[in-house]
Order: sequence, then C-alpha cells, then structure tokens
Amino acid sequence: MTMNIDDDQIEIIQEFVTESRDMIEQLEPQIIELGQDSDPETMNAIFRLFHSMKGSAGFLEFDHMTRVAHAAENLLDLIRNGEIDLVPDHVNLLCAACDFAKEALDSVESSYSDDDMVNAADIMAEQLHQAIEHAKGEDTAEEEAPAIDQTVEVGNNAELPQIEINDEMRQSFVTEGVELLQNAEQGLLAWGEKSDDPEPMADLFRNIHSFKGNCGFFGFAEMEKLAHQMETVLDRAKSGSPLASDNPADSLLAALDLLQNAVNDISEGRDGSVPDLEEHLAELQKLLPPMIGEILVEEGVEAEHVTAAVETQKKPVGEILIDQGKASPEQVNKALRKQQAVKSPGKKQTKSPASRAATVAKKQDIRVDLGKLDNLINLIGEMVIAENMLINNPDLKGLELENFTKAGQHMSKLVRELQEMAMTIRMIPVAGLFRRMIRLVHDISAKAGKKVDLVLSGEETEIDKTVIETITDPLVHLLRNSLDHGLEPPDERIAAGKDEKGTVTLSARHEEGEVWVTVKDDGRGLNREKILEKAISKGLIEGDGSDLSDKEIYNMIFMPGFSTAAQITDISGRGVGMDVVKKNLEKIKGKINVSSTPGQGSRIDLRIPLTLAIIDGMMVRVGDTTAILPTLSILEAFRPNADQITQTPDGDELARVRENFFQIIRLHEILEKEPDSRELADGILIVLEHQEDRFCLFVDEIVGQQQTVIKGLSEFIGNVAGVSGCTILGDGGVSLILDIGSLRESIEGKLTEQESAPEV
Amino acid sequence: MSENNTAAVETVLGTEENEDTQKDKYLTFHLAGEDYGIEIRYVIEIIGIQKITEVPDMPPFIRGVINLRGKVIPVMDVRARFSIEDRAYDDRTCIIVVNIEGTEVGLVVDEVSEVADIPEKNVEPPPRTGKSTGSRYIQGMGKIGEEVKILLDVQKLLFDEEMQQLMGTIADEQE
Repeated sequence: MTMNIDDDQIEIIQEFVTESRDMIEQLEPQIIELGQDSDPETMNAIFRLFHSMKGSAGFLEFDHMTRVAHAAENLLDLIRNGEIDLVPDHVNLLCAACDFAKEALDSVESSYSDDDMVNAADIMAEQLHQAIEHAKGEDTAEEEAPAIDQTVEVGNNAELPQIEINDEMRQSFVTEGVELLQNAEQGLLAWGEKSDDPEPMADLFRNIHSFKGNCGFFGFAEMEKLAHQMETVLDRAKSGSPLASDNPADSLLAALDLLQNAVNDISEGRDGSVPDLEEHLAELQKLLPPMIGEILVEEGVEAEHVTAAVETQKKPVGEILIDQGKASPEQVNKALRKQQAVKSPGKKQTKSPASRAATVAKKQDIRVDLGKLDNLINLIGEMVIAENMLINNPDLKGLELENFTKAGQHMSKLVRELQEMAMTIRMIPVAGLFRRMIRLVHDISAKAGKKVDLVLSGEETEIDKTVIETITDPLVHLLRNSLDHGLEPPDERIAAGKDEKGTVTLSARHEEGEVWVTVKDDGRGLNREKILEKAISKGLIEGDGSDLSDKEIYNMIFMPGFSTAAQITDISGRGVGMDVVKKNLEKIKGKINVSSTPGQGSRIDLRIPLTLAIIDGMMVRVGDTTAILPTLSILEAFRPNADQITQTPDGDELARVRENFFQIIRLHEILEKEPDSRELADGILIVLEHQEDRFCLFVDEIVGQQQTVIKGLSEFIGNVAGVSGCTILGDGGVSLILDIGSLRESIEGKLTEQESAPEV
Repeated sequence: MSENNTAAVETVLGTEENEDTQKDKYLTFHLAGEDYGIEIRYVIEIIGIQKITEVPDMPPFIRGVINLRGKVIPVMDVRARFSIEDRAYDDRTCIIVVNIEGTEVGLVVDEVSEVADIPEKNVEPPPRTGKSTGSRYIQGMGKIGEEVKILLDVQKLLFDEEMQQLMGTIADEQE
C-alpha cells in the first residue's frame, strides 16, 4: 500500500495506536478472567475492545488488523449469545489475538502500515474461524459468509443482555462520551467551512459511530437511537449524496446537544433518556432523501451487489467505504425498524434542554509529551535548589531580616507544594503493570502444568512511570522463577501437605521513602545447598561456603549465568533472568532483598527509591565534610558520657541508651575523613533506625535540618554502599545523602578490607 | 594565559557543533610535562577546578563529584588514572567535561592548551610498549610539526575493563 501519509493522518494513527494499546492492556486480564467466570459485563467489555479496534483499524485501512479483530469479534459474539460454549482454547485464542494486535500496533507505529503482518493475520484469522467452525460444528460450507452474517446479527440482536452498570463503567462511559461528542461537535462546526475534504467528515462519522456503539453496550437505548440516526445522515453525507437540507449541520448540532445533555444526565446518576426523541429523529430523517440502494436492498437485492454498485459510483475513498458500505444496508434496515418502533409510545421526559454552556465535561485529562513533563520536573528540582541557595545564602548570615525571612518562608512553602505536585504528575498506579502479570501467570502456569492463584495487593500504589517500565522485565523474570522453580507441581504439593494450588503474591507498598514491590510464593523455597553447590562448581566462592550467611548465598542467584535448574525449560533456567533483575534495579538505584524458608516459599522484595524525591534531611559534619541523614530514620541524638560506652572484646563499641545497647558506627571511617576528634564524648551520637535494625552513628556535629532534593550519583559511579545519592547545598557544593540501610554493610566491608590488606 | 586559552577553546566549542567540522580536531592539554589530546566531539566544556565532594569506596582516581549547574557529575583525575605522581591543584588546573554516550564525566588535567587540528595522516598508531597502564588508553600519536601529542581514547579511559571491575557492573551497560 503506497499511500501518502500526511501529518494529520500520522497523528490519527498514533492516537489509534496509543488508544488500542491502552485498551488491550486493560482488557487482557479480563480475557483471562473470562475463562474463570463468564460475566456478561466482562464479555461485553472484551467484545467492545475488538469491535472498536476493528472500527478504527478499518477506518485507517489497516486491513489485516481489521480482519483479525473481526474474526475475534465473531467468536465473541457467538459466545455471548450462548450459541457456542466458551472453552479454554478460546481464551488462549483471544490472548493470541491480543498478542497479534500488539505486534501489529508496533508495526503500525513504526511503518504506518500493517502490511508486514499479513501472514500472521492470515494464521490468526484462520485459527479464529476454525474455532468458530469447530464450535458450531456446522455451516462448514460457508467460508466467508458467516462473518458477514454474524455482523448483521450483531445489529439485529441489539437487545443486549441487560448489563449491571457500575459507577466505574458509568464514569468511563461519560468521559469517553464527552470526548467523542466534543470531537464530533468540532467536526460539525467545521463542516460548513470546507466540505470538499473527506477527512473531517470521516472523523466525525467515526466519533458518532463509536458513541453509538458505547450507548448500545450500556443499554442507553434512546441515545443510541438518536446517535444512530445521526450516523445514518452522516453516512449519507459522507458518501457524497445530497442531503435534503442546505444546512444539515444545524440539525445535527441540535441532536448533538441532546446527546451531550443525556451524557451529563448519566454522569449525575440518571438514566440518560432523551426528551422528545421522536421529534428529533423525525427532524433528522427529513435530511434524508430516499436512496436507490436502500430501496433495492429492501426489495431483496443482495446487499453486496448494491454496495459494489454504490462503490463504483463514487470516488474511491478507500476501504473504509467498503466496510461501511457493507454495513450500510443493514443499518438502514435497522433504522427503519427503529423508526417504526419509535412511533409506539416511547419514554418521554419533558425537561428543558440545558444551555450549551452547561455541557461541560466532568473529568478531563490531556496527554502530555513525557519530555515536556520531565523538563518541568527538572526545572522544579532546580528551583528547590535555587530557593535553598537564596534562603541559606552565606551573605545573609548573621543579619536580622524580619521581612526577608517572612517572604522566604512563604516562598519555601510554595516551592514545596509545587514540588509535591510535580512529583505526583509522573506517578501512575502499578495496577496496570500488575494486571499485565495476570496474563503472564496464566500462560506460564498452563505451560508448566501448575495450579496458581495470583494475589495482587497494593495496586493503587503509585510509582514513577519510567520506573514502572524498568521493573516490568524484572517482575516477569521473578514471576517466571516463582512459577517454574518455586512452586511445586500439584502432586508434590499434596504430598507436602499443601493445597495443590500454589499462591503467588504480587504486592506494592510504601516503606520508609521507598516503594517495595514484593513477589512471594508458597513453593519449596530457595535451596541453600543447591545454590552453594553450584557456586562452588562455578568457582564463585572459595571453600565450602559454610561460613556464608543465608543472605549472601541467596544473593548469588543474581549472578549472571547462575541457574540451579537441572533442566532448561522454555520458561526459565538459563540463568539470565535474575541478572536482568539486578541490572534493571541498579539502573533505578533499587535494591533487592531475598528471603526464603525451605518448604514454605520464598520472597523477593524490590526496593525502589522514589525518583526525584525530596526528603527532610539532617545535615551532619565530620571534619570538613558534610553529609545528610534522612530525618525519618533518626530516633534521637545525644552527646555520650564515657560510662555509656562499652567496648566488646572484638573491638565493637556499644552505646547504652536506657535499656538498649547499640553498635556505634563512626561516620569518619565510612567517609575516610579526619574528624575533629576521635573521642566519642567530644562528638554526637545519632540513633538511627532501619527496619528492625538500630545503631548509633558517630559524627562531629549536627549542622541543621534542610529540605533535600535527592540527586543520583552519576551512573558512572554506580551504587555506593552507605550512600543513597547526593544533593546540592545552598553554597553550590555537593553533599552525600547517607543510606541508613547499607551503612552497616559499608563499614563491615571496610573492616574486612583493612584486615585483608593492612598496609592500605 | 590559561584563561585566554580557555576562552579560545570555548569559541571553538561554541561555534563548531556539527561532526564534520569537528573531525580531526583535538583538545590538547598538559599533564606531567607531556602533551595529550582528546577528540573534540566528546568535550562539552572546560571549567576551572572547584570543590570536589569525595565519595567513599571509589578507586583513587575518582576524586568525587562536583555540581555542574545543578548536575552532579563524577570527576576523574587523569594523573591518578595513569598512576602519575599527584600534584596539588592550582589555578591552572582544569576540569574537562566530556560526554560519552550520555554519561558526563569531568577529567582533571594540569592545564588545557588549545584545540589542534591533527589530520589522520599525521597520527601514528600507538607504540607497543605494553609496559605502563597508561599506554592502553592511547589511540595514537599525533604529530604537529616537531611536537607530539598523545591522543587518548576517551572511551577506554572511562570504560576500560579494569574500570568496570572497579566500578562494578554499571559501566558495561554504556558500552
């Protein structure tokens, strides 16, 4: 297909790709759910996905996608109408169709065409058709015909199963509806200006068509009728036939207003009925002079022939028209029937139409280029630093500036609010990411022959968008591992006295300024001996490893090429996965905790720092160096007396704070600096808490408290034990932010270094 | 004098953005009595020495980090990198900020001299001494008349194998 693609078209295509991706992402889990309980609501949602995809793809002339979506739609329709029973194969097939669509979208995004997908589409459509044929067990003679017949059926079976509409659905209907109507309104308003260009018209038609579809699925019959009538008029106008009125846009706009009112009605919890529906339908009908094709169809001439005839009569606007041309006779039939139906007493609600001004959307969002957002957030970060520089300017030291201080405080408050706001902009809930995993677990459990319950929690936890992207792969690998290696096969589980269905928990939560994403299973747990054996055989450790802690041993699974699996399955076992987990977590300065109880399962925590976080920091000084401690971790600070200090035989210093003894860590040893004094009694001890662990940090002095914008220590430097990042001070200098969790590790590392290389 | 040079260098950096005009151009600097050069395309800017915040657990040639207008970038002492004896920083000491595939690093050198044009034909392959640690990072020997400039391979200088071991596994992602 060689077509000239202009910018507008590209924009439309891009929008289509994003929208479709969103939809697939949303619906994929529901498809899997479908296998478990076929709730009509879920069914309709999925049906709607393929239906919209078919519509949009058809409009954009992505024929291969249209074909597959159409086939999937047929299958779903048959299932929905109870003509065939849903079998697990269907779920798999629909999942495969989603995969195909994703791939096709990728292809569309890069080349603006889905021609590459022709083979895949053939296979996919064929499979779907076969499934339909197979399930029906009849009608094998008809090859292509059933597809068309069934579309007609969709139309005829407009009496959809009554759906229980919940608020969420209602909300999404309203949001989408408002958007569609607004677009349509713009289209209508522009209509008068240049009627030669088919593009806005097609767009307008599509908007109304989608809106009609939505109304249908939600069972808003009156709105559907009105929208349908508008569609009919537009269809006629689009195909270039004259309308009975010189100024059709006015009538259409009036109808549009009615629809907008009805949508508002729904958002306020009412039933979205259209007042004086009949009149408005008649009004629109007036625009339509009878058409020869219509009559022919009614007379019994085959729809396709008419379409073909109509087709040749017109300028080729592309395959959209074929698609819609095919549908048109059936739509017309339907419209006629409906028109008659309207004449029987319909629900009438007299309600004065609200003014145009009242038809404003309730909830709005806009898509923003991520780059722009990043720039904004960076700027705000800079501003916090600049504000610090200003307020804590060394030139102001010692001056009593009452007004300045007041103004400064006000500004600090504003800047802080701005900062908080900016942080929330980039954050999105992990729900989307988690739901994607439902599919994964479904697939793997089927492949590995295991029964699994995936429990999700904390889906509302928000994480930075890029972070979510970075942890997607790690989560995939972790879940694979849990399912493939962690969970035992059903018979083994029963033998071990466990429920044959394993449980894998995926959860997210906030914990001490980090987000923790946890993958937990109740499988056999990590096998210390096996890991150790492997490590020794690979020469990764010296000796028999009996002196290593469980934690050290478990961490070995993150080494590249490390796999204890005896066999490489197609799911996992190559030992690449865990390495990916580690690499990706390092990228976002995250950390990994592994814990495991043999026979009871294992648990892996991904600890992800909030990017561009702002923390309350306490600045401490050692010699001429300053460092920042997160205020959250500080329990208390005091100047120790000599009798509070105890020295253990192996050289550790302990401080007694009331009834507890805490190990003392000297900051000057970590930073390798010369302190003012090495005497504990000359400095300050700060009691810090990290999870359950408490210890004292010895510093020279506490300098003060300040808002701290966390900056990463360049990727070039990587992760440094004991340091979580750095910040820029008021004087433009850089100060390290200490990581309470790894301070102890850092000092232990230093001590062993000193033992092994005393000359350093 | 150094200030004049720096200004001259900056005009070159500022005006010559595209690859073609940067071809065969090297920023040259002094280090322990020798002249070195690095390809100009890597160089972002040259700043005077400033306060460096030390970072624990770093190899000795990573001096720490500096604040470059709100960006935190690591600083490498090129003398220390080549195990040349330390020398106190003075007002001629410069930090050359380079960018390699998105990673910015500051290089501390004794003194920046000029931007020199060294066509390919005047560049000899590196000598095969294999003795000192430094020679591994040499891209070639550039000749300008009688003068010889040691042209450094910035890529290797920053992301050498040895470097990777020292820095952990982070660096290999940038290769």
